[in-house]
Amino acid sequence: MTTLVLDNGAYSAKIGYSHEKVSVIPNCQFRSKTSRLKTFTANQLDEIKDPSGLFYILPFQKVDFADTSVVITEPYFNFTSIQESMNEILFEEYQFQAALRINAGSLSAHRYFQMNNQELCCIVVDSGFSFTHIVPYCRGKKMKDGICRINVGGKLLTNHLKEIISYRQLHVMDETHVINQVKEDVCYVSQDFYKDMDIAQLKGEDNTVMRDYVLPDFSSIKKGFCKPREEMNFTGKYKTGEQILRLANERFAVPEMLFHPSDIGIHEIGIPEALVNSINNMPEEMQPHFYKNIVLTGGNTLFPGFRDRVYKEVRSLTPTDFQVSVLQPPNPISYPWEGGKLLAENPDFDEMVVTREDYEENGHFICEEKFDI
Amino acid sequence: GVSPILLCRSSQALLVWVGSVAAQLFSVLSLSRVAEAGQRRVLDDATRQRRLNRQLDALEKDNFQDDPLSSLPPSGPTARLPAFSEGEEPGKKKRKTRGDHFKQRFRKNFQTLLEEENVSEREEPNYLSAAAPPSSLPPRLFCSVCGFPSSYTCCSCGGRYCSTRCLITHRETRCLKMTL
Repeated sequence: MTTLVLDNGAYSAKIGYSHEKVSVIPNCQFRSKTSRLKTFTANQLDEIKDPSGLFYILPFQKVDFADTSVVITEPYFNFTSIQESMNEILFEEYQFQAALRINAGSLSAHRYFQMNNQELCCIVVDSGFSFTHIVPYCRGKKMKDGICRINVGGKLLTNHLKEIISYRQLHVMDETHVINQVKEDVCYVSQDFYKDMDIAQLKGEDNTVMRDYVLPDFSSIKKGFCKPREEMNFTGKYKTGEQILRLANERFAVPEMLFHPSDIGIHEIGIPEALVNSINNMPEEMQPHFYKNIVLTGGNTLFPGFRDRVYKEVRSLTPTDFQVSVLQPPNPISYPWEGGKLLAENPDFDEMVVTREDYEENGHFICEEKFDI
Repeated sequence: GVSPILLCRSSQALLVWVGSVAAQLFSVLSLSRVAEAGQRRVLDDATRQRRLNRQLDALEKDNFQDDPLSSLPPSGPTARLPAFSEGEEPGKKKRKTRGDHFKQRFRKNFQTLLEEENVSEREEPNYLSAAAPPSSLPPRLFCSVCGFPSSYTCCSCGGRYCSTRCLITHRETRCLKMTL
């Protein structure tokens, strides 16, 4: 019996069989232009991922459902109405043999513990598209009291970047995908915010922070790219007809929102403070263990300098007798998926899933019990 | 040489003259600014808060657009095929309603779902309790025009600016535009 692992994220879905490799697919609605009959759909819903996002599995993977178990991820504290709908879809529409609904962070924690057997506790920072969650795990179980949700995610960063570019340079409010690319190529996390601000205010060559980004025009330039510093023209305009965005303080001010949401007016603490806050809610004897095992997952952690900045801030907020260690795995986006793959191969897996027979007998109740979400 | 008293007098006179010119200049400027301030509307706190909330909500939107090309007739080889009646239609309709069915069901947006959840009746911890608390550090304020740290606030709408040049840009473009 094969197991399908699906990390259902708001931006991208990471899906694959447990014995194969993962594929990362953008989680959005595709309509084929040539044959209107086929719709590969995976809808986006406000903050909670719509369970009907599973539709795309049908044409994409050609899964033999009756023989497959599925591991699918959900946000923390997902609403019961959506959880129930999810159960219905998995068992009644797709008729999976068995299913496990779990939080993405739990899969990451499982993967982490697999690598470091001697550690008992870890704290997972899952910074994704819709929001960021800080979740402590102890012996494989999430500690619900310590879960902290910051309503800042990749979506907010991209929307903010769109707004400021539209106000200062060029109207890009409709070009979400292009600006998302800009954000990923050009933005970084600064280690010293005010120093970088001062450098960004200098003129000409001294301004090492400023970069020019060439926008795609979909005829000759298919994909935007950042101009290397040697080619930049500091005085006067460029001779070529390409559209250029000149970005200086936006480069590091936008990711700064993850660390200080109050910059934009969101009255919440940032990631380092939330880490400390969360750990302080835990029993005292566990706290040193949490500080030693901070794991960063999620797309937003790919900003250059993210890990060092988190380390620096957490280090400055904790007493010196605690050892602080922040780990960024080599692939933060598919890290939970890899955890799911390991989980599927775990001997305990069969006890964690709910089989279709169980569901048909007992209904939602058994899912609520077994899946500790 | 020149008598010290005379020198003193003349420097005094000079000072007085400079002072008077400055005073005139100041009064002209301040008069114009006062007149302008009298004409400019000042938003109260509640309106400012509403504007801020609207801006924040705009940041949260999902950019989920309907495919703009879906209303166009199909291009390519299929366009030349005649549209079949009965035979094809139910098939197409069925496929469409499947996707639409879910869209109908989940048309309730996030707010209604949240209210339905009756979160206050659940015991802690739940969705609301997991929300991050406000920061204990004061917020850092940035100019709404250029993005650098700002020290000043626009009297009318509460937007921040860092220098008079940014204030002028702000007044011309954004101040009091799109007000609730």
